[in-house]
Parts: sequence; structure tokens; C-alpha cells
Amino acid sequence: MLTNESEVLLKAECIAKRFGDTHVLKGISLTARRGDVITLIGSSGSGKSTFLRCLNLLEQPDGGELEILGQPIRFKMTRHGRLPEDDKRVQWMRSRVAMVFQSFNLWAHMTLVENIIEAPIHVLGMPRRKALDRAYELLAKVGLDERADHYPSQLSGGQQQRGAIARALAMDPDVMLFDEPTSALDPELVGDVLAVMRQLAEEGRTMVLVTHEMDFARDVSTRIMYLNQGEVEEEGPPQRVLGSPQSVRLRQFLSTR
Amino acid sequence: MLNLHGYGMRLAEGALVTVELAALSLIIAVLLGLVTANAKLSKRRLPHLMATLYTTLIRGVPDLVLMMLFFFGGQMLMNDLSDWLYARFGLDLFFNIDAFIAGVLTIGLIFGAYMGETFRGAIQAVDKGQVEAATACGMSRALIFRRIRFPLMMRHALPGLSNNWLVLLKTTALVSVIGLSDMVRVATQASKTTLEPFTFMLFVAVIYLLLTSLSEWVFKRLTRKYNAGFTGGRS
Repeated sequence: MLTNESEVLLKAECIAKRFGDTHVLKGISLTARRGDVITLIGSSGSGKSTFLRCLNLLEQPDGGELEILGQPIRFKMTRHGRLPEDDKRVQWMRSRVAMVFQSFNLWAHMTLVENIIEAPIHVLGMPRRKALDRAYELLAKVGLDERADHYPSQLSGGQQQRGAIARALAMDPDVMLFDEPTSALDPELVGDVLAVMRQLAEEGRTMVLVTHEMDFARDVSTRIMYLNQGEVEEEGPPQRVLGSPQSVRLRQFLSTR
Repeated sequence: MLNLHGYGMRLAEGALVTVELAALSLIIAVLLGLVTANAKLSKRRLPHLMATLYTTLIRGVPDLVLMMLFFFGGQMLMNDLSDWLYARFGLDLFFNIDAFIAGVLTIGLIFGAYMGETFRGAIQAVDKGQVEAATACGMSRALIFRRIRFPLMMRHALPGLSNNWLVLLKTTALVSVIGLSDMVRVATQASKTTLEPFTFMLFVAVIYLLLTSLSEWVFKRLTRKYNAGFTGGRS
């Protein structure tokens, strides 16, 4: 990995988040360079999903800095807490950072192919023809070319999630976020989704993911971050973090998997 | 065959007034309803307060009372305004509240409150994940509303919307009290002159039934449209 020389795509520094009196995130930093696959692991309630959602500002961090493609997001204090200064900048940032959700969240009123062309047309301003061509390419890539005109309700969970990955890819994002993408799937459907993600990693996609699939994390990650109670307890290359964990808690966590 | 004693043409014109009045009121009511629903769901206090005040006031006072209040009260206000303009600036202006416009505005204002409640429930019924996915793609709030929230919400709003529309259509009959020549007013006059109220009221009833049946058909099609992609939904 040429990690050190590669371009920094996403940089989060000291991200903090509180829900009421609970400090969910106590200052977590992450730097994603082109080609990085960073996996966040930790037990539920460790803050990994919340941290991931702070990276595209689906959650508003109470503290910390965020930079995408070298462009900082500025925040201001309001009566409703700390919010981004410029909505347009945030929208641009989100168009560069795609997200795949645990519950797929394909738009239920649109067919699969309509789901995929929606944001390229309306956010990126791509011509419809071009968006459609690309959508069919992506559907073929995730093995769903025959399902283009199906509604999400007519697809299995695994198919929906692969469709959601195609929707994310259609934005040609610089970074892709995956929030427990296989947790809502029946066990026999997990493999197809992981295969698609593995292919993306091999193609050099920059990815940040939250997952409980330890074997997968070991295989594809360039770096693993173990979160515990809103803090990074241990991080490093997968061989080291998963192979010879230093902290007691991480060892306990791994032994339960 | 029904003998309309030469009132046929005037009744047809009245029916047209009824339809125009209802259609324009509906547009205002839907727009007001959407604004009200969004204001009620807003985190900000002022929009929320104003929307609550609006729906509480409108839904708590009879339609007929509101209509007379707006029409006659509005005219008095206008008269005072022209008096004041004359006294203060020597301007000799006279504002007359047009009965049709007053009717459209009043009915629109009344039903905006009901639509607001319908839309509020419908917006809340939309799965949060659907909106989150759109947000995560970089869509603006307006775009999300137009492309995601609105079409998803309509599925939940249509039953209430269709109900409100039928009541609205029938409420247009009230505008005859402010002197607008809608179908009901023409029929009332014709009944008095010809002493055949049954003929004319039956005619009016049939026209309303035709209009409502047509509406049912339109709403059925809309329901099918907005239920696309949902299995096991109403269709």
C-alpha cells in the first residue's frame, strides 16, 4: 500500500458527539487516503455507527473538524447546537461521500434503475441518457441487470443491498461509507453483498465501513480501528489489531466473535 | 325529461362557477396545507406556533361564520381603508371585495387547515431511512421534498385528501350566502320563481353526485400511481 504518499480524501479530527449527557464520541480522528479500506469494529454502543454518520454529517458532531478533498467544513454555533455554516458545501461533500445503510433504504416508490439514476441526474446534473447507460453498467456489475425494473419491495434483502451499492457507485464517490451493510440480511444472502464489497476494495475504492464480519475485515481492510465507549482503543493494520491485540477489552471482544 | 323552465343555461354557468371555485380553492388549500404541515413539524418555535394557531382557529369556527366574517368583515376593513386614504392623502379609491375571490380565499383558507393536518400525519408516516438516503446523496431539502418525501407521503395523504376534497366541493354551496351565483344559488332562485324546488334541487344533487363520482375516479388513479412499488397497499 502506498498509504503515505496517497492523496488524503477524508480527514476527521477529534470528532465528538453527545446525546444529552452521554458522550457517545470522545474525540475520534480518522484519515482516509485514496485506496484505504478502514474498518471500524467494536461492540454495540461503542459509537462506531455514530462516528460513521458524522463523516457525512447525517449526525452533527458537537466538536471536531472535517475535511473532504482538502476542503474544510466550517461550523457555527446556533441555538440548535453546532451546525455547518454552508448547506451547499455540505451537499457537495455528501455527493462525494456515498453511504450504504444497514436497512438499504432504496426509495420504495422508484424502480431499481430509477433509484440509481435519481441522484446523478438531480444532484450531479448528468444527462438522463448517460445516467441510464451507467446505471445498467453498474447493475451488471452487482449482478442485478435483470432486476432493473423491479421495485425494491420485489427484491430480496441481498438484492436490495447490492442495488443500494450500485446507487452509491452511480455518484462516482471519492469515499464510500458502509454502515453495517450485512447486519439486516439473512445469513445466506450475506456472501453476495460481501463479494461485491470485496471487488470494490480490490478496485482501489476508498471505503470506511462498520461491520461485524471479522473475516471480511481481516481480508480487505488496510486499517482497523477498534472503538470502545466512544474512543479509539486500538488501531492499525488488520494483522496486528486482529492477530495480536494489545488491549484486554479488544481481546475479549474478539474472543466473543 | 326534466323541465328547467329556461334556467338550464344559468344552472350550467352556476355549475361552472362551482367547479372553478372548488378547483381554485383546492389549489390554495393544498399549498397552505403543505406549508402548515411543514411549519408544524419544524423545530423552530415561531412557525410551529403560527401553524397551530391557524389550524386551531379555523377548525374551531363554523365555515359559514368564517365566510361571513371574511366577506363582510373584509369589506368593512376595505371601506375603512379607503376612508383613511381619502382623509390622509386625498386619494379617492374604493375597494370592492369580489365575491368569487373572497369565496376562493375563504374556502382555501378553511381547508388549508384540514389539509395541514392530513399532510402532517402523512409526512410523519414516511420512513426516515428514505429521507436519510436522499440526504446522504447530497440532495437539498427542496429536492428531497419534491422527489422523495412528497411522492412517498402522498400514499398516506390520499385517503384524507380525497375526503377533504369532497367536503370542500360541497362547502362551495355556502358561497351563495355571500351573493355568488353558484349552482345552488341559481337553483334556489329558480325554485322560488317556478315553485318547483324539487326539480331544481334534484338537478343540483345529480350534478354534485357526478362531480364527486368523477373525483372518486381521479383519486383511484392517483392512489394507484402513488402506491406503485408498495405491495399489499390499497390500490
